[in-house]
Amino acid sequence: MELSDSVLDHLRRVAALPDLSGTRYELETEIGRGGMGIVYSARDRVLDRRVALKVLDLTPAGEAQLIAALEHPAIVPVYEAGTLPDGREFYAMKLISGARLDAYLAEQPTLAERLRLIWRVGEALAYAHSHGVIHRDLKPQNVMVGKFGEVYVMDWGVKAIAGTPAFRAPEGPVDQRSDIYGLGALLRFVLPDPNPPALAAITAKAMRADPAGRYPDVPAFLADMERFEQGMAVQAWPEPLWHRLRRFAARNAVLLWLLAAYTFAKFLIFFLRKF
Amino acid sequence: MDADTAIGGRGDHFPSTQLSLLEATASSLSSEALDRVITIYWKPVYRFIRLKFHKNNEDAKDLTQGFFATALERDFFARFDPEKASFRAYLRMAVERFAANQHAAAHRQKRGGDIEFEDIGEQAVSGESPEQVFEREWQRQLFCLAVDDLRAHSDACGKQLEFQIFQAYDLAEGERPSYAELASQYGLPETSVTNYLAWARRMMRSFVMERLRGTTAGWRELRDEMRRLWS
Repeated sequence: MELSDSVLDHLRRVAALPDLSGTRYELETEIGRGGMGIVYSARDRVLDRRVALKVLDLTPAGEAQLIAALEHPAIVPVYEAGTLPDGREFYAMKLISGARLDAYLAEQPTLAERLRLIWRVGEALAYAHSHGVIHRDLKPQNVMVGKFGEVYVMDWGVKAIAGTPAFRAPEGPVDQRSDIYGLGALLRFVLPDPNPPALAAITAKAMRADPAGRYPDVPAFLADMERFEQGMAVQAWPEPLWHRLRRFAARNAVLLWLLAAYTFAKFLIFFLRKF
Repeated sequence: MDADTAIGGRGDHFPSTQLSLLEATASSLSSEALDRVITIYWKPVYRFIRLKFHKNNEDAKDLTQGFFATALERDFFARFDPEKASFRAYLRMAVERFAANQHAAAHRQKRGGDIEFEDIGEQAVSGESPEQVFEREWQRQLFCLAVDDLRAHSDACGKQLEFQIFQAYDLAEGERPSYAELASQYGLPETSVTNYLAWARRMMRSFVMERLRGTTAGWRELRDEMRRLWS
């Protein structure tokens, strides 16, 4: 048996397609490739709606059960999990229409919008960590921004995932602090250039090579971000005096203007009386 | 360029559930592991040598045979480290080193003799590098073997009609018949045609996986190789 190039290409294509016979889904098109498998859009014939169908490559990874246990607005809900006739595991989940984080940034969102995204990712992480789940592969491609600004963290990690180099913590066995490293890398990725030194310091602290030097948990990371947003000093940065004064001035601008106006008025009255 | 050899073209054996390459090596089944490797890689290695070193059919065959004989002698599998590369990449690099040494030795003998003309016709026509040809032939061989396995399996379990439908549709050169045309030709409902095709493709996929499992060193490499095969 000899196969021509065109027949070989056809066989490669049809062998890769998931066999959905006997399921309630009709295949539409491939929409992405994750750490453990391929994601397709499909139509659920029973409920007449479109879903995202993730078909896992090989070994059952428990990924569906892992995600189904997490109920959070920033974690995509799983509708159903099962096994295809060809032996591959699959699960159906909500189909998100929106943009991946890296594509979303091309729309030039404001700094406040960028920080809100990281905040939402951090909340989802904190929730997952409280349930003993670690993401393991935080990166822009795994964060989706919906049409109404909703944020979803995708591709929750399983043991086989080693992470993506630019966003991966350097240590071997991963734990919650490895996710904090990824969150810091994500913050660095979304920040415009140049960025405020306090935010750069938060990023640097989250991404320290030594896990013990990072934030102890995600809430501590978020608390430092909140301090920045409220114009307070962040823990990650021992700021110089001039910067502290400038921040004080920015936070109390109205009060300072009133004080200046009062002082000016007093001087004015003083001079008018004198002359 | 003269025609390719017919060696290494068929694999008539229905595959049993295969041990991974490392399992086979570890359990003193090196010769069996080498058999599997030769079944899948003989042609890719032969084509790679032909293109990379501009060898004619006979020289390329000799070099290919020589490579596998040396691999058997020199404990080739024991030096494979799955942490560093896939088995496919390891084997291609080993072939390249082996053939380059042989090629250099042959050149030393010929130095001062006649001018050697290099035939680059085929490479120029296909536009593919020898490395791409090696990968392409690896894919082709895997699917050829899987189709042979599917035919044998269909015969064994009385599903010749399923195989005929698969052959008429998925192995068709040029324009494929429609499902309706196949249904009318074989006197079947159209849903049976799609079901038969789904069965055949599912089986073919599993045979490809089985063949791959025998030449990879664990599920992670198997997964990566499958992705490479499908993408």
